[in-house]
Amino acid sequence: MRTLRVAAGAAGLALMGVGVSLLTDLRELPDVLVWLGGAIALHDVLIAPVVLLVGFTLVRGGVRGPVRGALLVAGALTAVALPVLLRPGKKANPSVLPLDYPRNWLVALAVVASVTAVWLAGRKVRDRRRRPVA
Amino acid sequence: MKLSVTPPVFRGRLHDARTATSIGRWLGTAFVVCFVTGLISHFTQHPPGWLANSLPSRPSWGYRLTQGLHVASGIAAVPLLLAKLWTVYPRLFAWPPVRSVRHALERLSVAMLVAGAVFEVATGLLNTVQWYPWPFSFVPVHYAVAWLVVGALVLHIAVQATEIKAHWSRRSPGTLALPAEDASDRRSLLAAVGAAVGAVTLTTVGQSFTPLKDFLLFAPRHPDKGPQGLPVNRTAVAAGVGRLHEEEYRLVVAGPRPYTLSLDELRALPQHEVELPIACVEGWSKSAHWTGVRVADLLERAGAPEHARVRVVSLQLRGGYRVSEMGHNHARDPLTLLALRLNGAELDPDHGYPARLIAPNRPGVLQTKWVGRLEVLA
Repeated sequence: MRTLRVAAGAAGLALMGVGVSLLTDLRELPDVLVWLGGAIALHDVLIAPVVLLVGFTLVRGGVRGPVRGALLVAGALTAVALPVLLRPGKKANPSVLPLDYPRNWLVALAVVASVTAVWLAGRKVRDRRRRPVA
Repeated sequence: MKLSVTPPVFRGRLHDARTATSIGRWLGTAFVVCFVTGLISHFTQHPPGWLANSLPSRPSWGYRLTQGLHVASGIAAVPLLLAKLWTVYPRLFAWPPVRSVRHALERLSVAMLVAGAVFEVATGLLNTVQWYPWPFSFVPVHYAVAWLVVGALVLHIAVQATEIKAHWSRRSPGTLALPAEDASDRRSLLAAVGAAVGAVTLTTVGQSFTPLKDFLLFAPRHPDKGPQGLPVNRTAVAAGVGRLHEEEYRLVVAGPRPYTLSLDELRALPQHEVELPIACVEGWSKSAHWTGVRVADLLERAGAPEHARVRVVSLQLRGGYRVSEMGHNHARDPLTLLALRLNGAELDPDHGYPARLIAPNRPGVLQTKWVGRLEVLA
């Protein structure tokens, strides 16, 4: 196990070395470093605190599971949709970004909200049925 | 005055090793798939010398599958990466921040992993919508950082091997040592992450996996939208071609016995129909019916040696990928055509009228349009 770990660690370092050597060959290295640092800052300073705050505020009590699920799915869909929603500038041709993305985003959020509502209602009915028996 | 800095307190109960291991298994898988398919794409487009004449032309759907997987696994990594980083976020505030040289190096490697992972997923996603807000060129940087990320990932797994093993399954000793009352909440969180992966996949994957095209909400392409029901990247206008005049068009085949053909002469040669996909590096792909002359027949007539490579030159005036090359596997494959027709009709100018290359297992950017010249290389 230990030998395997050391070998894997060395392999990882070697692969990172390939990346570093490819990066140092680039004239644009300083710009890339700024963007790599920016990626950390974007997540650690902005995304993570906002997600934690939303979770702290909304994900509570007996409905925490479904609410968290809904927020997670809606958040992931929004993250993936951001580029198609926000891309500025002229498109190369009409077959690029051909869909009505703002409408699709609202449809997706509505579907997530409906599925969650049905799920919560179903849970409530199930709990009520169980209670008299218990 | 004594300056006191207190790290934040996280009361959430699922920032634990079992949650991190569970999500990490899926995230690691997505990254490995993304890396391997990315390498395939890179070497297909920029083959080193020893590979240039031995790239396989089969399976005909090979590049469609690998590049579809590349983009799909990258999109699936969005919720997985965010969930994984949420799980381990409290470790960012570990106190004291650095305990030893080893600990410092370990944290540095994690920082490189996080930076590279967020960078790769974000730049890749933006590239699929042709949005380039950064001051560097996408391909070499995305390629270089991919090696950095996969290396940092392997190193991370080696460093955390004991923890990963202890929390690998629900019944692993480390998992059993965690508070039992968290198990159902953790299952609910993991199910939600799985649902998020399913949702982002379902709403984008139809751009290459066409049976799911009716669920497309957020893909930058729809396989049916474009001239002749097929998406386009560079139009004839963008390439500076316009509509070429039929009488003026000539195909030059340069080889041991060079010759020139008019469009009518090309049409009079034996025509073959093939079903092949256009598979773009940006992730979309669509299969279509192409009719035209076999490149192998054209090469035979020019007296090209069996193992010769071929250069395909476009009549386009602007933009990259004016010239593409192919090895003998592609050049001699009976599916490789100089196509004149698409889905039963003459090619649209945007699809390369009057003649374009269509070959199996090949990225869309190398399916040269508006072909004016084939050169047999030594």
